Amino acid sequence: MSPVKGDAKFTNEVLRLAGLEVRTCIQCGTCSAACPTAHLMDNSIRRLVKFSLEGRKEEALASSSVWLCTSCLLCTVRCPRGIRPKVLVGALRDIFEREGRKDKDQAYEDLFMRQIMDLGRISEALLSAEYLLADPASAVQTMEMGLELLPKGKITVQKDRIKGTDEVKSIFAELGKG
Amino acid sequence: MRLAYYPGCVSRSTGKEMDRSTRAVCVALGIELEELPDWSCCGATHVPNELVSTGLAARNIIQTELPIMTPCSICYSNLRNAVQRMEVPEVRSKVDAVLTKSHERARIRHVLDVILEVLQKDDDRLVVPLKDLKTAPYYGCLLTRPKGGIDSPEFPTIMEGLVKTLKAEPVDFGLKAFCCAGPIFMPQEEAAADIIYSILKDAKKAGAEVLVTVCPLCHLMLDAKQKSLERRHGEQIGIPVLYVTQLVGIALGLGPEELGLNMNSVSPMPVVEKVYERVAK
Repeated sequence: MSPVKGDAKFTNEVLRLAGLEVRTCIQCGTCSAACPTAHLMDNSIRRLVKFSLEGRKEEALASSSVWLCTSCLLCTVRCPRGIRPKVLVGALRDIFEREGRKDKDQAYEDLFMRQIMDLGRISEALLSAEYLLADPASAVQTMEMGLELLPKGKITVQKDRIKGTDEVKSIFAELGKG
Repeated sequence: MRLAYYPGCVSRSTGKEMDRSTRAVCVALGIELEELPDWSCCGATHVPNELVSTGLAARNIIQTELPIMTPCSICYSNLRNAVQRMEVPEVRSKVDAVLTKSHERARIRHVLDVILEVLQKDDDRLVVPLKDLKTAPYYGCLLTRPKGGIDSPEFPTIMEGLVKTLKAEPVDFGLKAFCCAGPIFMPQEEAAADIIYSILKDAKKAGAEVLVTVCPLCHLMLDAKQKSLERRHGEQIGIPVLYVTQLVGIALGLGPEELGLNMNSVSPMPVVEKVYERVAK
């Protein structure tokens, strides 16, 4: 790997979250070849690994690819070095969120986690409604899906709060620190 | 057999028929389910910090001493991943420090795996052979990933085995383990719609009469989105998408109500009627 010229602190944080084995990446591109959403990405998964190791923080965090990973784990199944690129993408999302950066792709994830902390479980109807405010363009697909599911009795609006929400909150607070 | 049941969040909304058919099939097969007390969300694919995600799964794992069964591939993958990660001593001590107790050697099972185990010992209960029903198993991603689970994470065949046990005919298609893109559906609807359109077309071209899924997100994408894809592309696709528990339930002679067959978007009833007609002949 080329010597770190960029933000070493960023590189170390990614390694802490995604595992030291990321340093052994040989840039073979197997992860990118395996990726089902590679065709949508501005930077391949291989490049996200490279940016991370070279401390190229802005390039990594500004990449749309960070939000296009579906967590399918095929990269992780195939990586010949035993690296888990999906966890690396998660590390980039985590850093993005902790720095308070915002965009529409991140908004869904943010609402999802807030709901787990608040209720302990996810209400898909509530989540879609909240996301609508963050991304009004999602109205068409949300309405379409809603009209499909409503007559099937699959839209549940009541909040269903578990007893252990304090425990769930502490999982986020304590383990999120690292 | 007695198992702890982890239904997952979607069992209360978009995956109600998954939950209903899981419970019905387990009753029919003599599998006793005890719902996991105060279960919480596994984090699905939206908790990017792996330690937090492991903690969320571990909180569920410690609620029982029994093996834990779930019908959802996402929950299943997260719970399995947590068990694997907890083998790393550093991860384990961090997670244990936050939780009220520790777990030893938790066993995580997918409903598919449980059903197969029971049917392999005793297939007398299969009263309605799904004769010649061209059934395409759609695996999606997370049933077999991370690796080290019940089947190959690249070329799974476990469902083909089940389909044959039910006397149906497995249909192979190229995209059977290609990601449905469900996790990016909200922010990236068009891209996800293109992917599921390809999957459905591929299965149809291979001659599938019905698709079978093991994940509620795959199911939502392939079933509930199907009519929208038909409108968009101006063509009929019309492939019913059954949960594996619904398919098994039909073969066990359970009724549409018990299996929630009226809750699927693309009605599986014409296919069910065909099965009964073939059996009557």
